[in-house]
Amino acid sequence: MPDDALAKAAPTQTLTATRFVEIVDTLVGDFDVIEVLTLLTSRCVELLAASAAGILLADGSGRLRVVGASTEQIQLLELFQVQNDEGPCLDCFRTGHVVLHSDLDHLSPWPLFAAECTKSGFASVCAVPLRLRSHTLGCLNLFMSAPGGLDDTDIALAQVLADFASIALIQDQATRDAAIREGHLRHALTSRIAIEQAKGMIAERHQVDMDEAFSRLRSFARNNNRLLTEVAEAVVAGSLPLDSITPAGLRPPTSR
Amino acid sequence: MNDEQSSRLAVAFARETARSTTARLCAACVEVLAVTGAGITIMGGGQAGPICVSDRNVSALEDLQFAMGQGPCPDAFVSGVPVHAPSLDTTATMKWPSFVTLARESGIGAVFAYPLIAAGTRVGVLTIYQHDEGQLTKEQHDDSIALAEVLTETVLSLQDDAPPGTLAPGLADAVEYRAEIYQASGMIAVQLSIPALEALLRIRAHAFANDQTVAETAALIVARRLRLPNDHQPETEV
Repeated sequence: MPDDALAKAAPTQTLTATRFVEIVDTLVGDFDVIEVLTLLTSRCVELLAASAAGILLADGSGRLRVVGASTEQIQLLELFQVQNDEGPCLDCFRTGHVVLHSDLDHLSPWPLFAAECTKSGFASVCAVPLRLRSHTLGCLNLFMSAPGGLDDTDIALAQVLADFASIALIQDQATRDAAIREGHLRHALTSRIAIEQAKGMIAERHQVDMDEAFSRLRSFARNNNRLLTEVAEAVVAGSLPLDSITPAGLRPPTSR
Repeated sequence: MNDEQSSRLAVAFARETARSTTARLCAACVEVLAVTGAGITIMGGGQAGPICVSDRNVSALEDLQFAMGQGPCPDAFVSGVPVHAPSLDTTATMKWPSFVTLARESGIGAVFAYPLIAAGTRVGVLTIYQHDEGQLTKEQHDDSIALAEVLTETVLSLQDDAPPGTLAPGLADAVEYRAEIYQASGMIAVQLSIPALEALLRIRAHAFANDQTVAETAALIVARRLRLPNDHQPETEV
């Protein structure tokens, strides 16, 4: 019924467009990456003929880990794939291509995984790669309750949703890297400043010059097996009493 | 950043960094933007100072802004957005009295400050100085924003190679150069039993009230020729 199909298509397209706008809006602001990935799995269920979805990512050593799932059950199924080292997601991650199996009851290349899926009420699966240029970061796994898998339109749409996930991951990594580098710079600056301030404080308290103040600061750090910057910061913060920074070889005066 | 712009900036920077590292960055900014002078300041926790300046006038102006915490540069750092002073008029004078006085004496008519921002966090400021009053052109403004981006990456890359907790050699000037000011604030902190940051403010106030630079006041304190008063006793020059 072509008329019927048309009537159905229009609202679906509008919904897809609305959801895409929402996702892009999320990605240009501050976002929590796990929240975005979980949101994307729910959008897969809403926009595609899939009943459930999960996202797996490769960690530093190339092992896949479950990072988002539309339901708790999928979380377990994904974990099952990783633990048994078989399933569409692993094949998709190894090859970097879409993996589709339209009937898990027949000739499944993954006997253990297929049996587990059937038990959970899923008849077909599809895995779409999370791509960054020629690199595969992980994959998006889609579970269908009916046999037949996904049609080409849904697979194309699934790839767009997987690409959104890749963008979220790359953006998150870039932000985290920049924040770490900025943190290093700030720490280096404040440590350097703290050393000068601590020298001034020691020089004033013990009435010595800056060189002697620095040598006392350094020997205190060395004798107590602490970092120079850490000792300087403690002096400036007032958490290390100035009277405990004594000339090398001398013990701090005992309080009576 | 468009392609033509980024390749122009890349060429200028490659040429300058080939000569030396940070020292020539400001010369590259002056060349690319065709302006009178430029200064690059890095900041952490509201403290620090210039890592490079294009000339001695700019050096004095950058120092004053750091030391007094007053001027377009600290304002750009605090607000995180560019601060434009196309003329040093009464509005500018009211906001930054000491800065405007020194800028006029140095023959500066307009100042523009662009924050260096990485991942939403402020790292420092690029400050542009013009002899003549007037706004930057649209191209100069766009280039300054692009340069601020390049400089942020340059500063972070320099620091990438430094061991944790130590400043990269090219950036050490930001502190080294004014070590005495920090030493003096440590001394005043002990003398007056106040935090070091508050001691720095007291040193600034003394310098301002006595028509000295902060560096001069700090040098007197470190030489033990000046003690700042607490609330109960008058200040003493020894």
